[in-house]
Parts: sequence; C-alpha cells; structure tokens
Amino acid sequence: MPKMPSERKEEQYLKEREEFFKKLPKLNRRQFLKVAMASAAVVLAKNSFPPHSFQLVEAVEAKQGGTEVKFRFAYISDTHLYERKLNERFVRAALKAVQDVNALDPQPDFVLFGGDLAQLGQAEELKLGKEILSELKPKVYMMVGEHDWYLDLGEKWIELFGKPYYSFDHKGVHFIVLNSVLVDDYWTDTKMSPMDRMKFMAQLDNPNGRPFTVGKGYGDVGKKQFEWLKQDLAKVSRDTPIVVFSHSPLYKYYKPWNFWTDDAEEVQALLRPFRNVTVIHGHTHQPVFHRIGNINFYGMLSTAWPWPYAPTGLPKLTIKMNRADPFDQFDGTGDGTVEVLANGKANKVYNLWSREPMKVTARYLESGGREEVPPLPVDPSF
Amino acid sequence: MKRTFIFLAVFLIVAFFNSANDLSAIENEGDKKTEKKVITACDGETQVVLNDVAKDEVMSREKAQEVAAMLMATYQQQKKYQSTKFTRRDSLIWDRELKAMIEEGYKWFHDPSLGTNGISCDMCHPDATDTHPETYPKFQIQLKKIALLRDMINWCIENPMEGKPLKEDDPRMKAIEAYIIWARAKQDPRPEGKTLNPGRR
Amino acid sequence: MSSSKHFYAVILFFIAFVLSFTFINEKQASSSAKVTYQVKIPLGIPKDLWELFIPPDNPITPEKVELGRKLYFDKRLSVDNTVSCATCHDPKFAFAENKKVSEGVGGKKGARNAPTVLNAMFFEQQFWDGRAPTLEEQAKQPIINPIEMGMPDHDAVVKKLKGIPEYVEAFKKVFGGDITIDRVAQAIAAFERTLLTGNSPFDRFIAGDQNAISESAKRGWQLFQGKARCITCHEFNRSNPFFTDNKYHNIGVAMNREGFADLARKAEMLAKQGQLDKRKLDELALDPAYSELGRFLVTLNPKDIGAFKTPTLRNVELTAPYMHDGSEATLLDVIEFYNRGGNDNPNLSGEMRPLNLTDQEKQDLVEFLKTLTGEFPKDFPENK
Repeated sequence: MPKMPSERKEEQYLKEREEFFKKLPKLNRRQFLKVAMASAAVVLAKNSFPPHSFQLVEAVEAKQGGTEVKFRFAYISDTHLYERKLNERFVRAALKAVQDVNALDPQPDFVLFGGDLAQLGQAEELKLGKEILSELKPKVYMMVGEHDWYLDLGEKWIELFGKPYYSFDHKGVHFIVLNSVLVDDYWTDTKMSPMDRMKFMAQLDNPNGRPFTVGKGYGDVGKKQFEWLKQDLAKVSRDTPIVVFSHSPLYKYYKPWNFWTDDAEEVQALLRPFRNVTVIHGHTHQPVFHRIGNINFYGMLSTAWPWPYAPTGLPKLTIKMNRADPFDQFDGTGDGTVEVLANGKANKVYNLWSREPMKVTARYLESGGREEVPPLPVDPSF
Repeated sequence: MKRTFIFLAVFLIVAFFNSANDLSAIENEGDKKTEKKVITACDGETQVVLNDVAKDEVMSREKAQEVAAMLMATYQQQKKYQSTKFTRRDSLIWDRELKAMIEEGYKWFHDPSLGTNGISCDMCHPDATDTHPETYPKFQIQLKKIALLRDMINWCIENPMEGKPLKEDDPRMKAIEAYIIWARAKQDPRPEGKTLNPGRR
Repeated sequence: MSSSKHFYAVILFFIAFVLSFTFINEKQASSSAKVTYQVKIPLGIPKDLWELFIPPDNPITPEKVELGRKLYFDKRLSVDNTVSCATCHDPKFAFAENKKVSEGVGGKKGARNAPTVLNAMFFEQQFWDGRAPTLEEQAKQPIINPIEMGMPDHDAVVKKLKGIPEYVEAFKKVFGGDITIDRVAQAIAAFERTLLTGNSPFDRFIAGDQNAISESAKRGWQLFQGKARCITCHEFNRSNPFFTDNKYHNIGVAMNREGFADLARKAEMLAKQGQLDKRKLDELALDPAYSELGRFLVTLNPKDIGAFKTPTLRNVELTAPYMHDGSEATLLDVIEFYNRGGNDNPNLSGEMRPLNLTDQEKQDLVEFLKTLTGEFPKDFPENK
C-alpha cells in the first residue's frame, strides 16, 4: 500500500522532532526554551513543518493587500445532546466549547451553531441545548441538522430558534444559513412513528438512508427554500463576499454516510457568479476541506465525537487528522474560529481540544494545496 | 517424481483445452453477471471456478500450473471423501446461519442498550470503520496489554458507552465480533483490511 | 558447473560461518563486560530489564555505587550543610517523604511533593514535568536550586567537594580523574540504579500465588483495570510493571492554586498565537501559579498545560501525602478525587470523568494499592 504524501511527511516530521529532542538532554530548561524558539524560527523560514504551537501564524500573512483579518466569528457544532440525566458526557463537551468561545480574546463578532444540537430531536434535548448556548457572550446564529429535524419535522426547532433558513449581512459580507438536510418522504408509506423516523435518520450507516438535499425533499419545503435562495442571491452584488452555512457538506463526499448533498451542483451553480464564496458545513465531525470552482469548503468539528474519514471520496486537499484516542473524550473533537479577511476570503482554525490546532487558509485551497500548507498532524494515531 | 510431473502436464493440457467451457452448466451460488472461467478435469466431474479470470481470458503458464494443482487436489479430495460431498442444501444452511449471526451482530452494534448513555458502537464506527479486526492480537494502548478484538469491544462498552462488559462467551459478544469481521472484509476497499496483520498499529 | 568452483564456494561459506561466530561471541562478551555490578532484582521486575536500562556511558561498578551512596546522603552538597538528597528522598518513606511539599535549605518550601527514587531508573523522564531525561541530569538540578540544596552553581559544588580529600581520592579511583559535576551526577545515578523495589504481595499474586492478596484486593485489582479506569495511565504489564505510562496528564490538581485557570488561558492563547518567547515566559513566571503549568513548561504545547507525570504506585502506602503538590492526604482522598472526575479546568484531560464508585469499591481499591508495598534497600550506614 503506497503511503499518502501526508503520511510520509508526518513520518519525516516525527523523525526530525525526535532528533531535535535527542539533542536536548545537555540543556537546562532556560537554554532549552531558547533552543526551542530558535529552531522554530529556522524551520519556519525553510517552510518546513514547525510544531504547531511554535508556529508564528500571523507573521506569514499580510504579504498582499487585503489579507488582514477584518473580523472573526466562532463556531460550535454537532453537540448531539441527550437529556442531561442520560448522558453527562456530551453536555460536558458542549459546555467546554461555550467556555472556549467566551474566553476568546478578542471576542468573535458572533457564533455560528452548525446543527445537530440534539441527538434525537426531542424537546428536552433542544431546550437543554438552547440553555447551554445562552451562556455564550456573543450573538448566536442557529443552523439546523437532521438530528434536530426529523422527530417533528422542525416544529420544535422553529418554535425555539425561528426560521430554518435565512440570511444576514455583517461588515460587508453576506451570510446565508441553509436547511440542507431535506430528504424525500420515507415515513408515510412505511407508517413510521415520529421516533422511528428520527432513529432511521440518526443512523449514519443506514443502508436505506436517503440523500440530503437543499431544494428537493418531502413536500414543498425544499422547493420553497431553493426559490428563496435564488431571490436572496439576486439582491447581492457579485463582488460581495458570500459565506454559506449548511449542515451537510454542499458537495459529494461519501453517499453511504450522507456526507453528501444530492443537489449540490444546483446550489453551487447559484453561487458561481460570485467572486468570493465560502461554505462552512457540519455533519462530518472532522477536519475536511475542499475547493470546487470558485467555492472554498470547510467542515466543522463536533464537540461530541469524531467520525472516521470515509473509505472513499475524501476531498484531495484535506489533511487528515490522525485517529483519536477513544479514552480521551475530547480527542478529535473541538470548536473553532473563522477569520474573514478584508479581501473577502475566509480562513479556518480547527481548535482540536486534545491536539495541536490546525489552521487552513483560503490561499492553501486556492493554490491547489501548494501554498500556505497547514502543518501536518503530529499527534499519534490510536 | 517423474510420474507426478506427467500427471500435472496432462492436467495442464486439459486445463487449456477446457477454457471455453459453458458456465451456465455449473450449478453454484455466485454472481451470474460476471462470467467466470470454469475448468473441468478429464474425469468430466472435477471442476474449478476461477474468480479472478474472465471466461475468455487466456491464462499465463504459472496460473495454469496453479489451476492444474488445484484440480488434482480437488480430485484426490473427492475420491477420499466421496461420502461427505457437500450439497447445495449444505451451503444454503451455512449461508443462512452466517447471515443470521451477522444480522444479530449488526443489531447489537447499533443498539445503545449495551451502554447507559445512549451511545452505540456505530456512532463512532459507522459500517464498523476503524475497528480493524485484522490487527488483533495487538498491544492495546488503552488496556496496556495484548488484547483480542473482544477485549476492545468490552473496553468500548465500559468506557465511552459507560456500560457493563459482556462475558466472553456471551452470544451478543460473538455476534458483534462476527458482524465486525464481516463488515470490514466485505466493505473496506483498502487491501490491508483484508489481510491478517496481528500487532499492526 | 565445475567442481573447483563448487569447492571455493564451500570454502567461502565456511569462512563466513566461522567469522559470524566470532562476531556474535564478541558482541556477547562486550555486553557482559558492561555490567560488573551484581544487583538483586526483586520479583516482579523482568531480569533483563535492569541491564537494558543501564546507560552505556555510565557503567555500574561497586566503587561507583559506593561513592554515589556517600554523595546521596552527604549534606555537604548543600550550601549550609543541612540538606542531602536523602532529606527529601528518604529511605524511611520509600525514598520519598511525608511532607506536602519539599523543604530545602533554611526551611524554604518548594512547590512540589518529592517523588520516589525507587525504580526511577525505569522512568522515561525525571521530575514531575519530565524536564530531565536521565537520572544523571536530574541529580544535578536540586543541588543548585535556591530553594532545595541552594548551591550557587555547579562550579561551587565541585570546588567544595575538591576540598574534601576522601572525595578527591574516591573520584580518582572510580573515574580515574578529577571531580566534575558530570561525575558527581554519574555516581549518584549509579547508586540510584541499585534502588529497586518489588516482591510485593501483588508481585507474588501475579507470579501465581493466589493467596498472596486478600479477596478485597483482588476485587480492587479488577476495578483498577476496569470501572475505576486507573490502568490507562498507571500502566501495568509484564514488560512495564511500574504502574506508570510515563506520560503527562491534566487531572485538575493544578486548580488548587489560585488564579490557575486564568494563567492557563493566558498561556494557551500565547502558545497558540506563537507569541511565547522568553520575555513572555518570564512575565508568566511572576505568577505564583507558574509552576502549575507543569509539562507545558517543557514542551510549550497547550495540551500539556497543567499536566504532570503519572507517578508509580509501588509503595504508595508509604509515600503519603499524594499528588504533585501533596494536596491529598490519604489513598482514600485520592480515590475520592478521581471518583468526582478530578477538578474541572480549561485543560482538563478528556480522560477524566466521574466514576460512580461505591464505598465498598473505594475500600477494595485501597486494599489493592496496599498490596503494592514491596521490598527495597533500607540498611545504609548513613541512615540510622
């Protein structure tokens, strides 16, 4: 089995790191720190693979006009809450994300919630989620996931959080929040109870699962949304940067797990005329990034658990995180921030709780992975 | 020595001549869509079905030699154990039993009742991904000792799922193992998932 | 093929065969020459492990061990002749101490509880934050730490020892030369490599004696590996029977120090932004909770904030109080600490969670931990 280039690079990195540390025994701590900083500077200069925490991320930027950060927003996604008495674990993780965001300095302009607040769409779960997110200091924008939707087809969600799709403008950027988890009706003919319908949807590896869509699905919800999207975009100038939030990836990654949007091409076509488009999605619970045409895609981390990478279809530009340690509930999970630049591009920071943070820039995606290559993961695979 | 050689040579020739055999005559389970090469020995009974050679493909000399050896082994086996020749009925029963066990395992693999916090195996391991049954036994970092697949299943039940471990001979444990091994062998397109590789990290 | 060709091939093969033997013999000879010292390896430690862990650049000899022992117990290594290695790593308390945190010269208090020297040769790194990779490097640091043995620098240590004729002679005999700080450290480390512990009731139980430990302790051992989740960090197996994974974990003990959470956030932010230079570190060092950053001070990796090394559990019954700051008085207190899932803090390890142990289960765990009390060297002329 030939190794992925990223694996080879990681081996090389680990070797370099090991040799570096081997040379240290002769130094005391102060000297060690000096050496550590000096060597970090050296590897950075060579555009090699510096340890993430030594990386002087900001220094690389500002080469071109407009690449300075205009504003930041944070995200929390896929909390999958059960009722507290059943599962403390996911509650703990969601609270940790809230603490993280509240500790950010400077504070982000707002927080996006990326969907799947609840595990089984129950009122208690959604209410618990609302209660936890209400602790956030910045304003929160909510996006719905399939785990929130299919018990009552969005009834409780709309009551608690309002419309499932909408748009807003912030500092010259047009933001669009979609409900991308619409599927065709599999429950009426089979006479499923609401809970059966929910559980059918909640199973990722369901062999009978239905593909997500934005503009199709049961009834006319999708059709209406698609019409609305067209009209919403018609009002926006082509130079206005656009950031789209969707729960499912707005492209085709792996159908058996619904890492997939069936009418992705149609939505992408609507976004094609615009100069700067970024799509931020949830659902995949992993660092995953992609570029199609004029669109940059970034997946969000879950606070609850990481999904494995799908066996096929992984976007080529993605740098895979190593497998997480299941004993550490925070490993492979986390939250993150998005930097929106003055030129309308967006960079993304994956704040992995038990691992090195990973920053992926628009430039990396737009250069086809040749420039600003994010440091490769150094944490071990479990 | 010489005799075996001649015998082999005969089979080889037979194998070459039989390459255009009719597949539809073979009563066997299997995929009817892709036609496979079937080689019949000179007794007109002993047959080998080749999964990796198309019906009209001409085999290499090495491959033909391998097939000849297989035919001979099958021929001798049948002569020895004619009374225990397996029937279609036999394989029907086996297949159904295997399927039932795997389905049982699939059910438990997706059932949060093994734990106490709503979590089930498939939530981290859709299609049993990242269970790598082929790497056991191996030193399991979480257990700090050499573990079998079942030890790690129990570890997951006890830790992320916060449940009580199953006894090793619990039918649920056996079924889960059966499902995992089946799912990985059937669904993982990567070749390393299909090769036993004990100890691999 | 001609027969002469055949003949030469056979000859060549024979020569290679003979040579390979001499090679192997030489290798065996050199490895056995490395260790001329015989140490009693107690039950529970694999026989070959001890030799594997002797560094080739500091071979053990009886004379070196003797010199190391003298240095270990010699208070003259401290600035005012009041503190020796043994002051805090006392044979009476299984080479640890019974104080919350160590007290150095002039009664100055440190920030950390002294860990045991027993079996320390088998640890990956030394100190609670692992800043020393070897026993040799470890031995050098407390001597010049102002709140431990308080010598101004290593030159002063060497100068002071050179004024003691018996040391001048002993170093000449052992090392064939002058006193240097590296040789001081080598001698102390050599002595420490004779400080082994094992043959506890638990070791006898693992070796097959079912009656070596009580039923309660056996239940405790099961809990240790299962529900109580201890073994994940306090690793135990035949190849690593020392009850430590030699890794660093934030279990929340650092939260005992006021202001730690804010300091941790600050350190994390600086590290993630790549702004942690010497000046920023010196700024952080003014914070009284600074040393609680733990492993982070060595790696500068945010995930190591507040993380400390998993200590061994052998003889744990004798080394109260517990944790890196001595904050837990009894074994039961430690178990209560873990049972509540540690202390919440921004960098708490995801490995921590409430355990829901019953009172009986806690008692069983204590019983198990007590079976780890084993044999170790106690009789030293200096230790009366």
